[in-house]
Amino acid sequence: MDIAGSYTFDVPPERVWSLLMDPAVISSCIPGCDTFEATAENSYRAKLTVALAAITGSYDGIVTLSDLVPHTSYRLTAEGKGRPGFVKGSAAITLRTDGATTTVDVAGTVQTGGPIARLGQRLIGGVSKMMMDRFFVSMVEISRAYDRAIADDSARRAKT
Amino acid sequence: MASTPVLPKLVGERVRRREDPRLIQGRGTYVDDVKIVGMQHLAFKRSDVAHGRILSIDVSAAEAMDGVEAVFTGAQIAEMLAPMPIATPFPSPPHRAVAVDVVRFAGEPVAVVVARDRYVARDAADAIVVDIDPLPAVVDPELAMTGQPTVIHPDFPNNLAVALVPSGTGCTPDGKVDDTAVDRAFAEAEIVVSQRMMNQRLVPNAIEPRGVVANFEPGKGSMTIWSSTQNPHILRTMIAAMTGLGQDQVRAIAPEVGGGFGAKINIYGEEYVTAAISKRLGIPVKWIEDRSEAFVATTHGRDIIGYVDVAALRTGKVLGLKMRLIADIGAYNMLLTAAIPTLTMMMANGTYAIPAIRTTLTEVFTNKTPTDAYRGAGRPEATYFVERAMDMLARELKMDPAELRRRNFIAADQFPYATQMGAVYDSGDYGKALDCALDASNWKALIAERDAARKEGRLVGVGLAMYVEVCGLGPSSSLPTGGWEHSQVTIERDGRISATTGASPHGQGNETTFAQMLADQFGVPIEHITIHHGDTSVVKQGIGTFGSRSQAVGGTAMHLAGGKVKSKMAKFAAALLEAHEDDLVFENGRIGVKGSPASAKSFAEVAGYAYVPVPLPPGLEPGLSDEAFFEPTNNTYPFGCVIAMLEIDRETGEPTLRRLVAADDAGNLINPLIVEGQIHGGLAQGIGQAMVEEAVYNDDGQLLTGSFMDYALPRATDFPRFELHATVTPTPVNPLGAKGVGEAGTLGSTPCIVNAAVDALSEFGVTHIDMMLRPEKLWRIIHGGQA
Repeated sequence: MDIAGSYTFDVPPERVWSLLMDPAVISSCIPGCDTFEATAENSYRAKLTVALAAITGSYDGIVTLSDLVPHTSYRLTAEGKGRPGFVKGSAAITLRTDGATTTVDVAGTVQTGGPIARLGQRLIGGVSKMMMDRFFVSMVEISRAYDRAIADDSARRAKT
Repeated sequence: MASTPVLPKLVGERVRRREDPRLIQGRGTYVDDVKIVGMQHLAFKRSDVAHGRILSIDVSAAEAMDGVEAVFTGAQIAEMLAPMPIATPFPSPPHRAVAVDVVRFAGEPVAVVVARDRYVARDAADAIVVDIDPLPAVVDPELAMTGQPTVIHPDFPNNLAVALVPSGTGCTPDGKVDDTAVDRAFAEAEIVVSQRMMNQRLVPNAIEPRGVVANFEPGKGSMTIWSSTQNPHILRTMIAAMTGLGQDQVRAIAPEVGGGFGAKINIYGEEYVTAAISKRLGIPVKWIEDRSEAFVATTHGRDIIGYVDVAALRTGKVLGLKMRLIADIGAYNMLLTAAIPTLTMMMANGTYAIPAIRTTLTEVFTNKTPTDAYRGAGRPEATYFVERAMDMLARELKMDPAELRRRNFIAADQFPYATQMGAVYDSGDYGKALDCALDASNWKALIAERDAARKEGRLVGVGLAMYVEVCGLGPSSSLPTGGWEHSQVTIERDGRISATTGASPHGQGNETTFAQMLADQFGVPIEHITIHHGDTSVVKQGIGTFGSRSQAVGGTAMHLAGGKVKSKMAKFAAALLEAHEDDLVFENGRIGVKGSPASAKSFAEVAGYAYVPVPLPPGLEPGLSDEAFFEPTNNTYPFGCVIAMLEIDRETGEPTLRRLVAADDAGNLINPLIVEGQIHGGLAQGIGQAMVEEAVYNDDGQLLTGSFMDYALPRATDFPRFELHATVTPTPVNPLGAKGVGEAGTLGSTPCIVNAAVDALSEFGVTHIDMMLRPEKLWRIIHGGQA
C-alpha cells in the first residue's frame, strides 16, 4: 500500500538534512521507539512498541538509509518483525527548498504479513500515515526548538 | 383390553429435530469440551510470508518458558510423519504437515509447541524466531501458469498441478480427443456468446473451528482421537496409516461437530501432528484452531475461472458448449482438492441436452491456502457458468430466459440420461421444476412489477436459474474411500432400538430423519430409538458425510439393516404367536397377526424373548442385531429452479435481494422441515457468495480478508423470506427414492442473483458482472465505469 506526505520546516535544507541523519533525533521522533542503535554506517537496529488493536505488540526492526544525496534526497527502508507479523516499508525522501523553508516529500510503500495483514489491513494505511505524521511533526518541533535555542544563544552572545 | 395408542407414520412429516434441544441449550459436547487428566496443549507457529526459504528456526526462548513441555520444528515432525497422502489419482508434490525448508503459503505451520495450557502454548509459539528468506509469491493463476514469477514446486513446471485435461464429446477413456463435433457445432451456430467468469475464492467459516484431541495410551498401545470432522472412519484409516498403528488400534470420535461445509472432510496436518506428538510423548494432547488461524489454515473453496462459449441457433437451440476451466488450488493438494474441479467438468451441461461439449481443466498452484470441497464442491461452479451463459444467450436473443431453458432441457422421458460428460442422470423432470418456480413466483406478475419499478426509475432485475447436482456419492468406483455406507440396527432387550450410521452428521439432522424411518419400519415410538454416530468403536464401519449422501446412502444402509433385523424379529414373533411370519404386522408398538389384533404381543415382549429364547425356535440364533452395507449403483441427481428479484440503489450501488423463490426436487423427502432447513442454509451460503463474500489476497500472498471485519458473511437481515417449493421425482438408485439436499441451495442461488443483477443494470449495457456484487462495483457500472 502506498503512503505519502509533505512536511514543511522553517529552516534551510542543510539543517533539515542534519536532523534527518541524526540517530538521537530520529529515535526521539519515532512514536513508541524503545531503542535505536547504529549497527553500521546508515544502518540502525530499532525496537518499537505499538499499542493499537490488531497491530499491538513490540517490533524488532532494521532501518537502513541509502542513495544519499546530501541535502537533497535519500531512501529509507525499514523492516520490523513482531508477534503479530511483519511490516516492511520503503520510502523515497526528497528535500525541496523555497527560500527560508524546506519541504520534505515522502513517497513510500508499506507491506505487511501474517496476522497484521489479515486483521489489521484496514488499520495499516492509517497507522503508517499517522506514525509518519507524528515523526515529522516532532522533527519540525525539534527544528524550531533548535532555532529558538540558537536564537537565544545568539542573543546572549550579542549581550555579552 | 387397554387401548393401544395409534402411532402416526413419521416419514414425510415435519418432525422437529431431536438434536436441537441439547445444542441450543449448550449441552452438546464438542472437541474443546474433551478434557483428560494430564492433557497438554498445542500451538502452531505459522509462516507470515507466502513463499520463502526457511533459513533458521530459533526455539530456545520458547523452550525456556515455564510450562513448555516440548517444541518441534518441521524437520523434527518430518522424522515422525511421512508427507501427507491425498485421495485423488493426480500427481502431487510432497506436502509436510509442518513445513520443512520452504513455506508456500502464509499460515503454513513451521513449528509446534506443546505446553501446560493453550495460553502458554500460544505465547511460546510467538517466542519462536523464524528467519525466512522471501521468494517471489504468485497469486494469479493465469500468471502462475506461465511459470512466472516463481515455481512453487520444483517438479511442477509452470505450477501446473493438473495440466489441460479435456473431457466431453469426442473424448474417449483412453485419452483420444476428437473435436469434430464441437467444431461443427460452432461452425453451424447462428450466435455465439463468450464470457470469462470468475467463481471467486471463499472461506468456509464453520461456527466451530477445527480441533483435535489425541490420546495415545502407551500401556494399551492404542490411540483415541477426537476431531471436529465430517468422517471419523476416514480419519481413523489415515491416522492409523500415518502413525504406524493398525486400524483396530485407533478409535476416532467426531463428537458434536459445529458445521463442516466440506472443509472438514480433509484429514489435516494438525490432526496427524496431534496424533504423532501424543504417541511420541505418551500423553494426551489437544489443539483447538482459533478463528484467525481458521481463515488461513482450513481449506478454502471455489476459485475457478471459466471461459465459457455457447453456440446456438436463433431459435434458442444450443448446439455446442465450450468451457475452459482454470482452478487456483492454492499451494498444495489436499485430500480431494484435485477432484473438486472435475465435478465442474462433469456437470458442465447442467439440465440441458447439448449435442457437443468440450471442457478442459487446468489446475494451478499458487501461494495461497489450499482449496478443497466447499458446500456444493464443483457443482455450483458448473451451475454458475452454464446458467450465466444461458442467461447471456437469452438476453442476446431477447428471449424469455425460462423459454430458452425449456427449449434445451433434457426431456422427462429421456431418463436415465447419459450426458456428454459421462454422468448418467438417474431421474428428472426439469420442466416441472421450472413450472413450479414460475407459478410460485407468479413470473408474469414479477416481470410486470419489475417493469413498473423501472418506470419509477428504480433499478430492479429478475433472475432465473436451473440447477442439477450430483448427490448421494456415490458408487465405490467414483470414490477412493469407498462409496458405500454402513449401519447396524439392534433391537435391545427392552424393545428399544439402537442404530448406528457411518454417515457422521454435523448439522444434517440424521438423529431425527433416521429415527423417523426406523419408527415407521418397526411401528414403534420415535422416542424409543437412539441413533449412534461419530465413534468408530460404536459404529463399526462408515465413510462419512459429504456430497449430500447421508440420507440417500446412509439412510438406505440403515433401512436395509432394519429390514434384516425386522425379518428375524418376525421369526421370533411368529414362534410366540404361533403364526406365519409373513402374516405379521408391526404397528403401534406391537407385533400381531394381520386381522386379529387381540393376539398381538408387545414389541418389548418379542425383543425380550429373542434374548431369552426359551424355547429357541429351530434354525434361529438368539439376539436381534444386524448390519448392512449399501453400495449405490449410481449417484443421484437432484435438481431445481431458483428465481430472484433484486433491486440496486441507483445512488449507492447497494443491492437488495427482494424475493427468492426456489423449487427443489430432492426426490422423496423424509422430513420436509429438515429439508427446508438445509435449503435455507445452502441458499444463505449461495447468496453470500453472490453478494458479499470474497477471499482477497494481495500480490504478496497475504490474505487481506482474514477476519470477520473484512470477510463478510451474510446475515439474516440480508435475506428476504425464502419462498420454498418442492417437486418430487424419486430416484431409482435407492429404495427410499431420496436424492439428497444438503448442498442444493448453493447451486441455483449464485447465477440467479447475478442474472437478476445484470437484468437490473441492463439499461447500462452490461452483460456480465463477476461476483461478489460489491456496491462499489455496481455503482461504477451505474455511473459509467466498468464492472
